[in-house]
Amino acid sequence: MRWIPIVLIVGLFSCKKDAPEPIVIPNEEEVITTLNYTLTATNGDVVTFTFRDLDGDGGTEPVITNGALDTNTTYSGVLELLNETESPAENITEEVEEEGAEHQFFFSESLADLNIEYGDTDSDGNPIGIKTTLKTGKAGKTDLTITLRHQPNKSGAAVAGGDITNAGGETDISVVFSVDVK
Amino acid sequence: MLNRYITILFFFGYSSAVTGQICSQTIKGNITDLGSGGAIQYGNVFIEELKTGAVTDSLGDFFIQNICKGNYHLVFSHIGCESKELYLELTSDTVLKIILDHNHHELHEFSVSTHKETVEIQESTALEIETIRENANASLSCLIEQISGVSSIKNGSGIDKPVVHGMYGNRLAIINNGVAQSGQQWGSDHSPEIDPLVANEITVVKGVGALKFQSNSLGSVILVEPNNIQREPHLHGSANYFFESNGLGNGFNFSVQQYKNIGWRATATVKKSGDKHTPNYYLRNTGNEEANVALQFEKSITKHWNASAYFSSFNARLGVLRGSHIGNLTDLEEAFERTEPFFTQEEFSYDISAPFQEVNHHFGKLQTSYYFTDNQSIELTYAVQINQRKEFDVRRGGRTGKPALSLEQVSNFTELNYKNQFGKEWELKTGLQSNFTDNVNLPETGILPLIPNYVSAEYGGFITLEKSWKKAAVELGGRYDYENRKVADISTDLPRRVVKYDNVYENLSALLGANYAVTKSWKITGNIGLAQRNPEVNELYSNGLHQGVSGIELGDINLQPETSIKATLSVKGKVKQKLFIEALGYHQQIQDYIFLNPTNLVRLTIRGAFPLFEYQQTNATISGLDLSAIYQINNRLATKVQYSYLFGRDTEAGIPLVFMPANNLFGNLTYDFKQWKKLENIELEINNRYVFEQTNLLPEQDFIAPPESYYLLGAKLSAKRQVNKLRFHFYVKGENLLNQAYRDYLNRQRYFADDLGINFIVGINAKF
Repeated sequence: MRWIPIVLIVGLFSCKKDAPEPIVIPNEEEVITTLNYTLTATNGDVVTFTFRDLDGDGGTEPVITNGALDTNTTYSGVLELLNETESPAENITEEVEEEGAEHQFFFSESLADLNIEYGDTDSDGNPIGIKTTLKTGKAGKTDLTITLRHQPNKSGAAVAGGDITNAGGETDISVVFSVDVK
Repeated sequence: MLNRYITILFFFGYSSAVTGQICSQTIKGNITDLGSGGAIQYGNVFIEELKTGAVTDSLGDFFIQNICKGNYHLVFSHIGCESKELYLELTSDTVLKIILDHNHHELHEFSVSTHKETVEIQESTALEIETIRENANASLSCLIEQISGVSSIKNGSGIDKPVVHGMYGNRLAIINNGVAQSGQQWGSDHSPEIDPLVANEITVVKGVGALKFQSNSLGSVILVEPNNIQREPHLHGSANYFFESNGLGNGFNFSVQQYKNIGWRATATVKKSGDKHTPNYYLRNTGNEEANVALQFEKSITKHWNASAYFSSFNARLGVLRGSHIGNLTDLEEAFERTEPFFTQEEFSYDISAPFQEVNHHFGKLQTSYYFTDNQSIELTYAVQINQRKEFDVRRGGRTGKPALSLEQVSNFTELNYKNQFGKEWELKTGLQSNFTDNVNLPETGILPLIPNYVSAEYGGFITLEKSWKKAAVELGGRYDYENRKVADISTDLPRRVVKYDNVYENLSALLGANYAVTKSWKITGNIGLAQRNPEVNELYSNGLHQGVSGIELGDINLQPETSIKATLSVKGKVKQKLFIEALGYHQQIQDYIFLNPTNLVRLTIRGAFPLFEYQQTNATISGLDLSAIYQINNRLATKVQYSYLFGRDTEAGIPLVFMPANNLFGNLTYDFKQWKKLENIELEINNRYVFEQTNLLPEQDFIAPPESYYLLGAKLSAKRQVNKLRFHFYVKGENLLNQAYRDYLNRQRYFADDLGINFIVGINAKF
């Protein structure tokens, strides 16, 4: 109803506009362009897996940096999410951490003796997955899929143990790396 | 139904010999049946003010005497007839000739040769106020689905788009109060922002073109129209209420009108419902809320000069199934596997949270017409529409309260029409139209917009000529349109910058139609039309993820307008007063038909892999058949059967057209009861709908196979009752009475959930 007077005014006095101005290019604050999975071995060696797609869904293909891990080594893993469309880059990891109860990372790979365990918890005591511990065993190659689910069912069967099957929610991130353990 | 408007009334004033006595007037008359022309026996005549009346005799005559001079409201009714109301200023003895539509099961607008101004020779079916009110719980699209050849694209509850002969969105014109509805019609999850309860009549023109309207229609038109205000000095109106069990929905609608120097009508509707229920689970977040108002004014300034004004405001908040909001293709595939969608909850709720849509549509129209003579007139119309659409998604970082899509469109429409009836049944109509549209993305979203900002200037003109004979009529017409669309898009590559486009389109439309009454009972109608449609902004420029379908859609800036040639041929007839048949066949050929083609390519993003869809052009044909038949078994029992068949093909690739309605069959049985106590017009209807599986589709054209065929059983019981000056209309309806779990091919939620389960609706309408 509040629009009716405006309808009249706009209607009676508006005339043809020449150009669709002004255009405001929105500030894409929510976009995640980059995922870094940094693994630091007990001996101090650092391996970083990176998925970077600066222009979002369209345009150029994303750039993926894979890495090699040592056998029988324990790494502490840290995930970092960035929005590099902004300068300086915005750290999205903080947002996920703040809303930890609504987010969970899942790690899936196919090597029998490679183990990834959660190293952090949300306010309810459930894992988030920003911090992890990765232990390698024998040599081998695998795909490692890292998935971030928004609003998963964290109390679903085996979800807290890292099984995505009953997690639900929607996928905010899903990237695949090649891991070479040698 | 058009024929219900034809209550032909003849007034014969007799100068009474005994003028001294005031209460000595008589009202007499005769009631006949519209269909057969025969007398109606036992028809009721009731004078509301005097609470008295009469019953017609075997010749259909009635006689009421010793009535005082004054103003009266009369009601005429009969079993199985639509009742008629009449306002009478009684100054002398009066004779009335009343025609009631007894065969109201008869095919829509069957027996009437009169045509509506805007419709002409093309095939049309109208739903009038009574039907609209008995379906107060339905959206515009679901309401007209009962017409053969009409389907709905559904997207949750209350988000429905009509499909006529396979055309929807921008290819189907929706004319609201004489003006093409503007808004974001391109979205298949954007329903028309129209409250059907504001309209008195909704007409579907299953036609070949819409020459008189500035629209992109490739054939069919939906006309939503309020009636003219009755020239009656008393305040009249109606109040409607309904309750529906599925979703615990409630709706209230109120309308009042009066004509005293100036005529006015005010209508308001409020509706609210919560989570809908399939046979097995609640559909979380499928509630909706709606609040609408409309104001209408009419004034005869002089005998030849009329003016009118109309304002309406539509406001809705529409929940979208929570479980249908998903991420990537893996999520979608996971959703297919589930028996019930993610986020399903045990309890019912009225809450609407993200994802949901918030839609406002405000409409204002001023119109004036001048009659040079009875046959020659000119009409000037100005209309403005403001359409606001905000869509909210589940977002990270507390941004859920910010819309993910926020569009505002303002359009200004001006039209000048001229009409001249001349010579022996010739009619010429011509008009000029202009429309300016300004479509803006509000920058509050923090997301790259799905479609760009644009301003568009459209100019058009048409001319039609019609000639009628006793048994035939011919119409010929042409139309020219010019559009200049200036677009400001945001680049998809970095750095983000504004990319401008300036498009000019010129379109031609033409139409030729004829009808011929072969005998008194059979009529043949044929139409052929040429129409064009400009590519829409989403088809040209979209580039990104389309939520809910898990696909990346790529526009193509080189798309050209579509050109369609459509032909229809129909036969309508009756055998005695028993069997009524209507058959309509159509064939449409569309050159450069724009469609979303699955490319078999996958695009990798940080959210995973998404299938890539591209807007492409091909040549397409759509052929179909709409059949209806009614058989009046006896005075009380009638049955109706409807069948719609449609076959769409991409002739260039030799494959089926995607997203075409499945063939369907409808049948009902109605029984009119005798008057029971004070209840009149008691009617019971049992209805059946069978929707076939869409088999005209290749496996690679969809993520999953089309759903199986399904059958729905429904019933309705309605009755009327006069209590002093109030006329009540009660109804009870049941939908999906067998509580079938089913999914529909045109329902985009079919990937995630079943369709609605059993639903009971009770409604009451009081007219005063």
